[in-house]
Amino acid sequence: MDRRKFLKVAAGGAAGAGVATTGFLLTTAGEKPASVVARREVPTTCEMCVNKCSMIAVVEDGVIKKLNPNPENPKSRGMLCARGNAGIQQVYDPSRLKRPLIRVGARGEGKWRPASWEEAFDFAAQKLAAVKEKYGPQGSLWSSTESFQESFFKSLGLAFGSPNVERHPTLCLASVNLAYSLTYGTMPSFDLQNAKYIIISGANRLESFITPDTMDLIQSATDRKARLIYLDPRFTVTAAKADEWYPIKPGTDLAFILAMLRVIVEEDRFDKEFVSTYCVGFEQLAEHVKPFTPEWAAFETEIPAKEIVRIAREFSDAAPRAVYYAGRRSSWYRDDFSMRRAQAILNAIVGSWDRQGGMVPNGKVELGELLFLPWDDPVAPRADEMDKNFPLAAKGDGAYLTLRENVLAGTPYPVKAWMVHKQDPMNMLPDQAKTIRMIEQMDFIGVIDIQMSDTAWYADVIFPESTFLERQDPVEILPGIWPVVVMRQPVIPPLHDTKPTLEIVQGLAKRLNLSQYFDYTIEQWVHEQVKDLPVNLPLEHLKQHGVYVPPGFPKYGTTLKPEHRFVTKSGKIELFSERLKEAGYDPLPVYQSPQQPPAGKLRLILGRRAYITQANSTNNPWLSSFQPENDLWLHPTVAENMGIQDGDKVEVSSSVGTVRLKSRVTQEIRPDCVFMLHGYGKRSKWQRLVYGVGAADAQILETAWDKVSGGAAFHETFVKVRKV
Amino acid sequence: MAARAKRYALVIDARKCINCKACVVACRAENGVPLGKSRNWINEEIRGEYPRLLATFEPEQCHHCQDPACVRVCPTGASRQRPDGVVVINQSDCVGCRYCMIACPYDARFFREDSGVVEKCDLCASRLDRGELPACVETCPSKLRVFGDMNDPSSDIAKLLATRQYRVKKEEAGTNPRIFYLL
Amino acid sequence: MKTIEWGFLIVSYLFLGGLSAGLFFASGLAALLQKNEQSGTDRIARFGALLAPLPVAVGCLLLVFDLGKWYRFYKLFLHFEWTSPMSIGAWLLLAFSVVSLLCAYAWVPQEWRERFFAALPPRLAFLRRVNRDFSAWRKPLALIGLPMAVGVGIYTGVLLGAVQSRPFWNTNLVAQMFLFSALSSGCAALILTIIFSKGSPEVAELRLLYMLDICFLALEFFIVVPYMIHGQLSVQAVRESLHLILGGPFTVVFWVFFLGLGLLLPLGIEIRETMPALLRNGRFHYNKHLTAVTAVLVLSGGFLLRYVFVFAGQMSAFK
Ligand SMILES: Nc1nc2c(c(=O)[nH]1)N[C@H]1C(S)=C(S)[C@@H](COP(=O)(O)OP(=O)(O)OC[C@H]3O[C@@H](n4cnc5c(=O)[nH]c(N)nc54)[C@H](O)[C@@H]3O)O[C@H]1N2
Ligand SMILES: Nc1nc2c(c(=O)[nH]1)N[C@H]1C(S)=C(S)[C@@H](COP(=O)(O)OP(=O)(O)OC[C@H]3O[C@@H](n4cnc5c(=O)[nH]c(N)nc54)[C@H](O)[C@@H]3O)O[C@H]1N2
Ligand code: SF4
Ligand code: SF4
Ligand code: SF4
Ligand code: SF4
Ligand code: SF4
Ligand SMILES: [Mo]
Repeated sequence: MDRRKFLKVAAGGAAGAGVATTGFLLTTAGEKPASVVARREVPTTCEMCVNKCSMIAVVEDGVIKKLNPNPENPKSRGMLCARGNAGIQQVYDPSRLKRPLIRVGARGEGKWRPASWEEAFDFAAQKLAAVKEKYGPQGSLWSSTESFQESFFKSLGLAFGSPNVERHPTLCLASVNLAYSLTYGTMPSFDLQNAKYIIISGANRLESFITPDTMDLIQSATDRKARLIYLDPRFTVTAAKADEWYPIKPGTDLAFILAMLRVIVEEDRFDKEFVSTYCVGFEQLAEHVKPFTPEWAAFETEIPAKEIVRIAREFSDAAPRAVYYAGRRSSWYRDDFSMRRAQAILNAIVGSWDRQGGMVPNGKVELGELLFLPWDDPVAPRADEMDKNFPLAAKGDGAYLTLRENVLAGTPYPVKAWMVHKQDPMNMLPDQAKTIRMIEQMDFIGVIDIQMSDTAWYADVIFPESTFLERQDPVEILPGIWPVVVMRQPVIPPLHDTKPTLEIVQGLAKRLNLSQYFDYTIEQWVHEQVKDLPVNLPLEHLKQHGVYVPPGFPKYGTTLKPEHRFVTKSGKIELFSERLKEAGYDPLPVYQSPQQPPAGKLRLILGRRAYITQANSTNNPWLSSFQPENDLWLHPTVAENMGIQDGDKVEVSSSVGTVRLKSRVTQEIRPDCVFMLHGYGKRSKWQRLVYGVGAADAQILETAWDKVSGGAAFHETFVKVRKV
Repeated sequence: MAARAKRYALVIDARKCINCKACVVACRAENGVPLGKSRNWINEEIRGEYPRLLATFEPEQCHHCQDPACVRVCPTGASRQRPDGVVVINQSDCVGCRYCMIACPYDARFFREDSGVVEKCDLCASRLDRGELPACVETCPSKLRVFGDMNDPSSDIAKLLATRQYRVKKEEAGTNPRIFYLL
Repeated sequence: MKTIEWGFLIVSYLFLGGLSAGLFFASGLAALLQKNEQSGTDRIARFGALLAPLPVAVGCLLLVFDLGKWYRFYKLFLHFEWTSPMSIGAWLLLAFSVVSLLCAYAWVPQEWRERFFAALPPRLAFLRRVNRDFSAWRKPLALIGLPMAVGVGIYTGVLLGAVQSRPFWNTNLVAQMFLFSALSSGCAALILTIIFSKGSPEVAELRLLYMLDICFLALEFFIVVPYMIHGQLSVQAVRESLHLILGGPFTVVFWVFFLGLGLLLPLGIEIRETMPALLRNGRFHYNKHLTAVTAVLVLSGGFLLRYVFVFAGQMSAFK
């Protein structure tokens, strides 16, 4: 049924959710459709965060009036969050990047001169060539965060000859991905729609949106279809909706899971058949968890032992419709990988694998690929020395924090040019002062962004990308329990002198003599991707619907055949991991009691709010109106001891920096923690709503990482707070 | 086919609200609501003491009352009730006296400095006329607002009202509101 | 989105509208009571009639400027909404303004009239046709205008009292309170005018005004009391709303400044001044300064009453 329209309207306008009225879709910018229709509806894909929800843009007289959700996408379920709805403001933001800029003042001074694209390309290409000449292609760093056009950018870096293509996962989900990959050979999805028992360690799904999990969780939790146990030092919205919330002592989730494992093993509550058919290493596991009594865990976690026992029993009773849900931003502690591994193991031994209500390996759809000339692989080793530092981690993503250390130290070789795509390292990385030092030692910095980010503020040349509503992107498949293919097409032609990443890449490639590798158009690329989709007129289908939903999903049990080989060393689910052992790590998760803040200090923890995306949407007036500046959450007893009243200005300092912001004295946080929202206290004056307003967490976060995945340990900073 | 008068109304399952503000932004976009004002909002309350805390989030907007105080006091007839129950404001008749704002027990209205008239939720009347759902109803990730014709027994809303318990807000104010909050 | 929408412009408007009603009421009453030229009612009737159109005119201007865009005020007169006190009030004010203007004209002394028309430039000479003696119309106009004046006096209260959703206002006693306050402020304004006008005031004039004012103030007081009692006996929301003047932000203004200084004190003074004259047929003492202060207190009381009600009412709400 067409869920969007509640009434049948006689006129043709209501024919279906995704009917774009004219053939505007793959035409290039500026080309006007033959007949100008006053009101058009163009289905496309949101890029206000990583979720890629489907939307239908309503355009009236060439102006985007409204972004409506597109119910045809089973991942976004006819939802558009506050940020998606505010996408319009990204396009019409008066202070967005409107033309290429070349720096004229000192770095960070904010003096620019507008440049033509030719000039900007020439300038950047000449700088890049100079660095290549002097330091070799490995002297350049190409860093980017997930987007539909990211692969073009990465390709340019690789074609240029640099091994240093660095992505965001080590600031985000590297540890959880690695933990599941080493256990199951893949990162699965969680069937929250059908689960009966869900335990979550601080994945604040009702504020940090991840589709479709967020919507599933709302339904499960509020309709009491599932029991939700939530562990978080903060009382988040997820905590508010959970059946049970435990303000766990930070960094001790592993103790909780180990005790659960012990109860389940001791009481014979694991799925014996599943374990013996699909898993290896159960004996070692059983032996390993013996010491971890619920009483011990209670001491570590501050969760009562009898609750741990009960939860373990309820969890195993509900299995296989029971999951310990993985977080996404698992960049928390130095042993984050072990905690995520323990979750993966726990889910395995109760058999919640590839069954309804459990974890499900992601379904996929095959997309075609455009063939183009291959380039030679870069010869130099990576500057982050992944092989040495994190032998098991995903090479293609890099390890950002070690990279920064190495670049600053000049080892293993100098890195002097930095190209940044859709990323804001100034805020993404901890210890901003260090990032500034890294910037300062660069001969050249080029940034591709849509707004003047703090990183762009320090760049030498800025390439303004067209916003997601103004460009054609490659088609993407969203893997999952219900995989879908989504299309992002231009809703309006670019308002300003901006280009999509591919054209920026081509402009640079031409001047770097790499054109042969980018000798295609976006239309050819998309055509090749979709031409074999099993649907009538695939491209037309995507243009009209915005999504292609393959039939036959969800599929459960595709891996539940004894002969199935998991993509692990043993071909089984590895409770005990030989590969970890070989690489010199603990083959089973080993708990180390986390360091606690010394007297007078508090632990700084991070997290999301539903209407702000990372560091990038606080300058969106519709979004920041809900929280014009960030504040420091502080427990009332702690505040009282320090003589701090709600709303007082406080100074927060760590070993790497000091910031000032308002306090928010609240019951919603443990007494040993403080919290602040990301994305405020910007240095870029173009971000006028948040320039100097509130404080940047990146300025006080200390650098630490998880030893197995290289993922940042963002919650290991202890701060001193005082009233000012 | 006895033509029964339509009566549009909203059922809200506030327990499902996650205070994500999607509805607020959707309304802002759909209706050009100026920054700093809002046609809909979330009443949030956190009670209790750490670690025993309770949070409630309750979405609210104009209740499209059956006996709307705003309409009664409006000196120009700018505020009026459509036959389908939707209470609307005719901007060109409004003199901006704000009497209706004072009369509305739900503080559902606001004054626009730019145009000098009063504004509020009109259930996205122009979307309704196109056969679409109100913007906030459509965009909500929790799908907690159920919109429809409560006089049509086959509608979702009528079924909910027939089978579920609900309450209305500020009954004493006597406006006979048409937002029903599920219990 | 709780906001205070009606501020001092509206407070002033309500006060000025009431003042006009009070002036007209006293004037009309005096005109109707008038037996002959010297019975002490002449100046009351004349001054009242001449003054009455002024405050309401200013008040209406304030009201217009309080609208979203002032130039859209005419739309009020394109509609008549019988359920809206504001619509009724707008038309009533219009009618009252016309009648009170006519009445004022009927009371303009002949020499002023002559001088005025003599000074008219030739272009406007045709206006001289209205240079006639309308004094015969004084009583009929008073008869027509009196109910309108009462209506205007009541209306300023009904405007608030009709709002069922503000518990603080939710009783018809507000209208009566506002009416008597309006009538009394009319008297006070006349007392002031008379003692500061040329020619010493006659005892009879002041006695009449005092008597009226005592009645009005007393009636007002005896409405405040049941208002409080009624409120206390009413639903919880009304009881809670009374907290605004029982410990809440308007407590001092209400009890000390409005009730004490603006109502009871002048009432006391006036009674003390008139009682001996009435009871023992003694002489009515008249002290210019005390009289002036009393009148100012009454006027301030009238203003404060409206201030408290307009603001506190908007702050009160059902839970
Ligand atoms: N202190 C702190 N650090 C963190 C986190 C935290 O919570 N606190 N979170 C971590 C996590 S989980 C992640 S994923 C990372 C995210 O870190 P980043 O990947 O840096 O993400 P954003 O902060 O969203 O910044 C993305 C940049 O992309 C730009 N952008 C948006 N749309 C487009 C587009 O269409 N084209 C181009 N070219 N640019 C665009 C934005 O303007 C912005 O400057 O940060 C990590 N670092
Ligand atoms: N609205 C919104 N949604 C988003 C994003 C966004 O920016 N805005 N970003 C997207 C991205 S890139 C990511 S990676 C995800 C991130 O989404 P999540 O994985 O949910 O990560 P956070 O929101 O950072 O939430 C981490 C939570 O862990 C809690 N925590 C801290 N220490 C501990 C501990 O020791 N134990 C436990 N149990 N909890 C702890 C924190 O209080 C915080 O609430 O969100 C995605 N969705
Ligand atoms: S979750 Fe929100 S911001 Fe992210 S893609 Fe979906 S609608 Fe856009
Ligand atoms: S969109 Fe829905 S869940 Fe979000 S705040 Fe509004 S009502 Fe609540
Ligand atoms: S909620 Fe207020 S504005 Fe809406 S109909 Fe009722 S009285 Fe009128
Ligand atoms: S502000 Fe407009 S809608 Fe409200 S009462 Fe006055 S005229 Fe009517
Ligand atoms: S129904 Fe429409 S106008 Fe009313 S609050 Fe929702 S989006 Fe706004
Ligand atoms: Mo992330």
